[in-house]
Amino acid sequence: MAVDRSDLLQGTLDMLILKIVALGPVHGYGISQRIQQVSREVLQVQQGSLYPALHRLEKRGWLAATWGESESGRQAKFYRLSAKGRKQLQLEESQWNRLAEAIALILRTAS
Amino acid sequence: MTWWWKSLFRKRALDAQLTSEVRFHIDELTDANIAAGMSPQEARRRAVLEFGGGEQIKEELRDVHRVRVIESAIANLKSAFRFIRKSPSFSAVIIVTLALGIGANSAVFSAINAILLRPLPFPNGDQLMKLSQHYTKTNGVPTVVAPVRLEDWNRMNSTFQAMTGYYTENSSETSGTLPEKLKEAFVTQRFLQVWGVSPALGRDFSPEEEHFGGPNAVLISDRLWRSRFGASPDVLGKKLQIGDHSLPIIGVMPASFLFPERDVDLWSAVPVDAPIAQSRRWTWYAVIGRLQPDVTLTQAQANLAAVQAQLGRAYPETDKDLGVEIKPLKEVTVGESRSSLWMLFASVTLLLLIACTNIVTLLLARATHRQHEIAVRFSLGASRSAIVMQLLTEVFLLAFFGATLGLFVAAGASKAFRTLAADLPRVEEIRLDWRIALYALACSIAATLLCGLVPAIRGSSRALSPSLAQASRTQVSARNRLQWLLVGTQVAMAVMLLAGAGLLLRSFRALGQVSPGFDASRILTFRINGSYGETADWKKLSQRIEQTVDALGKLPGVEAAATTGDDLPGVPQHYPTELKFVEGEQDPQHKMVAESRFVSPGFFGTMQIPLLAGELCRDPLLQPKSTPEDPSGMHHVDVTRIEVLVNRSFAAAYASGPTAVGRHLSVLGLAFLKPDQAGEIRGIVGDAREEGMNREPSPTVYWCMTASGPDPFYIVRTHSAQPLTMSGTLRQKIREIEPQRSVFDITPLEERIDDAFAENRMRTILLTFFAATAIALACIGLYGTLSYSVNVRQREVGLRLALGALRGQIVQQFLLQGLGVAVIGCLVGWGLATAGGRLLSGMLYGVSPSDLTTLMSVVLLVLFVAAIASLIPAVRAARLDPMRVLREE
Repeated sequence: MAVDRSDLLQGTLDMLILKIVALGPVHGYGISQRIQQVSREVLQVQQGSLYPALHRLEKRGWLAATWGESESGRQAKFYRLSAKGRKQLQLEESQWNRLAEAIALILRTAS
Repeated sequence: MTWWWKSLFRKRALDAQLTSEVRFHIDELTDANIAAGMSPQEARRRAVLEFGGGEQIKEELRDVHRVRVIESAIANLKSAFRFIRKSPSFSAVIIVTLALGIGANSAVFSAINAILLRPLPFPNGDQLMKLSQHYTKTNGVPTVVAPVRLEDWNRMNSTFQAMTGYYTENSSETSGTLPEKLKEAFVTQRFLQVWGVSPALGRDFSPEEEHFGGPNAVLISDRLWRSRFGASPDVLGKKLQIGDHSLPIIGVMPASFLFPERDVDLWSAVPVDAPIAQSRRWTWYAVIGRLQPDVTLTQAQANLAAVQAQLGRAYPETDKDLGVEIKPLKEVTVGESRSSLWMLFASVTLLLLIACTNIVTLLLARATHRQHEIAVRFSLGASRSAIVMQLLTEVFLLAFFGATLGLFVAAGASKAFRTLAADLPRVEEIRLDWRIALYALACSIAATLLCGLVPAIRGSSRALSPSLAQASRTQVSARNRLQWLLVGTQVAMAVMLLAGAGLLLRSFRALGQVSPGFDASRILTFRINGSYGETADWKKLSQRIEQTVDALGKLPGVEAAATTGDDLPGVPQHYPTELKFVEGEQDPQHKMVAESRFVSPGFFGTMQIPLLAGELCRDPLLQPKSTPEDPSGMHHVDVTRIEVLVNRSFAAAYASGPTAVGRHLSVLGLAFLKPDQAGEIRGIVGDAREEGMNREPSPTVYWCMTASGPDPFYIVRTHSAQPLTMSGTLRQKIREIEPQRSVFDITPLEERIDDAFAENRMRTILLTFFAATAIALACIGLYGTLSYSVNVRQREVGLRLALGALRGQIVQQFLLQGLGVAVIGCLVGWGLATAGGRLLSGMLYGVSPSDLTTLMSVVLLVLFVAAIASLIPAVRAARLDPMRVLREE
């Protein structure tokens, strides 16, 4: 039951990326794998949106990037969360939670 | 910034990084597929497929990094145009305000640029210097230079490329039906070489023409060429008749050559080897020198001082006590207009600042209405800098339109300025060129930052537009405080300008009320041309002028006639001389310095300066005179009996009153009297403001010499209140007596005195105009801000009215709010005006820069106008219909 890219809410991808990068330096391939694993294969992120999002976040200063060696011994670009990114993550998480609660509340009471 | 850098200069490195990042992903996917049991080829194919179009992704990534400076600028401009179209009246107000501000500023700057900043209009004009000699024993004024001394300087110095000299004379050209007055400059060798100018038509003087007994030759001005010869190219070789000389025209000077003096028509060469030019005493020439490249003024001064010291040893009698003064010609030309121009520039810049402040308040008010729009843009993901850029682009577009329109304003203003300031030096050089356009553009950028930055930063603040749902009224108070601060600033600046204008106006009036000690009304002044050649026979010259004065005095309609040297009473002019009494010992510590004036005996009667003691000078026509030949110094007066009158200040300062009468005065230094000559003090006359209305009378000696030079000023007191109506009669009479001479410069004395203060009048008019505009702008700012405040608080006012508040209370509240800011602005403005008053100190008369009455009346005026500006919105607030307001909310 893979969810289409279009079903990801606007801005949600950014939050997911930030959340995953918050766990430690990771490259783009790792991020896509991690999202898939953690969401129990529900969410599959297209590379066509993942990489532009990564670069956009880097440009905004939320992510910092360095080149290093991957587990497989190849050169890879590792992304880390910056201080600014950490703040942004908190903000987005709390907003998301508020929204989710509100929607859940509506779903519960309206039925 | 780093992204900018990367994308612009490290494009290739970035591309390589993108490629390897993508390749890494595909490699990892391939590995994973192989681990899942696919063949390597199949694994690779699936990986590429799964990853999607690699090139397309890379392109998208590049897109993320691309700096879209131009694209975003165009987008911003488009939205700015939309903004202007959407709110035409708001935009028009800003554009017109800026057009006036930038236009006026550019106009004054064009004058500053032409008069003060640009070098003189000659090749390497900054190398040109004016040189004068002065007597070092007294602090005598620098004077013109003797021809031989000029040649010595030119030969012996090592810092100048060349030096030249000139003097001017008013001549009559008599080849036409009527004698025509022409101003003729007599120049020495190297004249055109020093200026670095060649004739527009024809040639320079030849060496033969510069030698005694050589052929005559004359260069004419462009103006004369056009008026007299219809700009015909075959003017060369035609002749002009001046006195006994027939002068062939050898060239026409370019129109831009307005030197040595603006109104010179002819240039002719004076032979340096003429016998008449060999005296070291007789000073003729205003000297202009061109410095060698890379020589400083100080070096030149040291060099010439050494040269003159050498001359002092060679000719101790005439050169020992002489010094050389060197000044840049530009400074001499610009003179005192410098301070006036900077003062005007400062005030017009203040005006532009007020205009900008006004626009800031407008934009701030506007920003409140745009909060919604900005909040929407934020929520769509725009960054703050993008929004600031967009808001700034809007202001820049407005400022740019304002500046463009301002250039037209400047063209008009600059024309008005030229008319108003026709007497300023170099005023014909003022024009609008690309520099002024560039300046206006710089003004518009400065205005953009000044006007736009604060509203843009505040307007784009996330804190102020956190959500779309909140109504604007909750944030009003904080923003309003800034607006009031700006209004106060405007009031303060306006008070400063108005105080300056007030001080100038007061001193202008004080000048008009001065009692000058003579009566300038009903007096007509003019000159009759004469040549310095006539001074070779002083007796004949004196007789000619005395007869003319006598005949003029007897004309019907004329009360009295007289002559005075080069100075007219009340028109600023200085001629300090050091004197000593022949009788008795002189205290060497107590120098006796007085102004010298040369007048005919009838001067005092004509000017109505009262005689206080003794007698007036005797009429020269009744005096027997002996005239010994004097080959050495023809400039010296050669009558044996010289009579003088002194003014009251002189008698009081140097001779304890009436005891002065009967004593004799001689002149120290190189002067008009030879060392063995002395003048007998015949009497004491009242003090008169001879040196200008703005100067207290100083000790003055009147030398009774009808002919102090070949063309003194004639002054005639008529019976008519309009003395100019007599000019026809006077001209006719002079034509009868002297058919070969022309009469010129016919002007009432009162007009000349006015003209002497033309610069004063110009700056007073302009500053008053600026100040009035400043007050208007400040009041508009006050009115606008208060109206806005009333609008925003409609609900509160409505509620209070509904709860029974009196309308008077509402009026009072808003009125006090407006006035309170005005009062604080006035206080600050008072302080600023006191500090800025120093800028005016040299321009004031009879009023101190911190004059209490002026400042008080300025403040009262501003408060009065501010009260009116506040009253309108305040009354409007009180007239609100509470029911309607509450319903609407």
